[in-house]
Amino acid sequence: MSAGHHHERPASEAELRARALEALLVERGLVSTDAIDAVVSYYEQDVGPQNGARAVARAWLDEAYRGRLLERPGDALAELGFGGMEGHNMTVVANTPAVHNVIVCTLCSCYPWPVLGLPPSWYKSEAYRARVVAEPRAVLREFGLELAADVDVRVWDSSAEVRYLVLPMRPPGTGELAEEQLAARVTRDCMIGTAVP
Amino acid sequence: MDGAHDMGGMHGFGPVAVPGGELPYHERWEPRIFALHLLTGFEGLGAGPGGRQTREEMDPAGYLAASYYERWTWSAEQRLLRKGTIAPGEVEAMMARLAAGEAAPEHEDPAMSRRVVERLQRRAPMDPPPADARFAAGDRVRVRRMRPQGHTRCPRYVRGATGTVERVHGADRLPDLTTYGEPARPEPVYSVAFASPDLWGPSDEPPFTVLLDLWDSYLEPT
Repeated sequence: MSAGHHHERPASEAELRARALEALLVERGLVSTDAIDAVVSYYEQDVGPQNGARAVARAWLDEAYRGRLLERPGDALAELGFGGMEGHNMTVVANTPAVHNVIVCTLCSCYPWPVLGLPPSWYKSEAYRARVVAEPRAVLREFGLELAADVDVRVWDSSAEVRYLVLPMRPPGTGELAEEQLAARVTRDCMIGTAVP
Repeated sequence: MDGAHDMGGMHGFGPVAVPGGELPYHERWEPRIFALHLLTGFEGLGAGPGGRQTREEMDPAGYLAASYYERWTWSAEQRLLRKGTIAPGEVEAMMARLAAGEAAPEHEDPAMSRRVVERLQRRAPMDPPPADARFAAGDRVRVRRMRPQGHTRCPRYVRGATGTVERVHGADRLPDLTTYGEPARPEPVYSVAFASPDLWGPSDEPPFTVLLDLWDSYLEPT
């Protein structure tokens, strides 16, 4: 859907301003409608948490791939065709029985687009950015995640150009599942660290 | 710049898990302004600091009052104005035309579509760590005290704190300089681990670890 189509309710000031910027640049031929559509569609259809989930499932099944994913994450993700903007310097952090990882960007909204797509609204919220570095267990509890007191919670604040992906632990009782079935168990929040599969 | 965007540790924002929070956006104009912002950069239509750095220039009250994508709209407009791609008053004039029911213009350019997707897929890792990095894994480091006027990646909540270098990520130029076109050599970027009591003092929660990626310039030996 492009801007300018019929709206059932009056556009907000914010919407009108955003649409006006697009209209100005499109009217002058500086930006094309289809190029905007292409970016929107890229992150709605082609790139999203299904990418990260595939890498996680592969790592659960293939010990050598897991090693590469942790040691040379950029190359290991490129093997599956994943890479690009906001994923130039990937670090994959593995959960263990003793360590639980969570990612955040307190200054902005940095997030590994090539493997998770665009972040959920809560990830960009003031509340998450403010609180998860200061009271991570209280935040995780809001997501229904209660960790044992002796687990080291490691919160990764993406303050430079490195982007993080959490490699969750494979859930018990999944020994028979194939890669696709395993990938279906891996939600976006599992790879941010606010859930476990 | 010590603005409203530097939020680590602040109180008063309420719960994280709220209805609708699972979605990346809620209205169609939101991904479109996101895309327009990227295109403004890719096609060289904007000027001045990048989008993120520009958003940090919003006055703190305005920053907090704006929604996420309203901030992106604001930074896109500022960058277009700074380049002279649009002139003051033109946005308001177009808003009036659209509000009056005028159909938005459309323009197709398949080459631009291909170009933008290629750009999204392009890989550009930072340089490998230099052999002579000042610190190594296991070293104790202190974050410098500072109050920078411009963009920085050193959040307030770690300044003055002591942590342990976890690893050397690579080498990158200091954004505090490159944002303004000032020369900067690649310098080591470290992952530094902080024990929560060293950041926040006593807490109701069991101790945890916060890790930040910090440029060499932000650090000093203990």
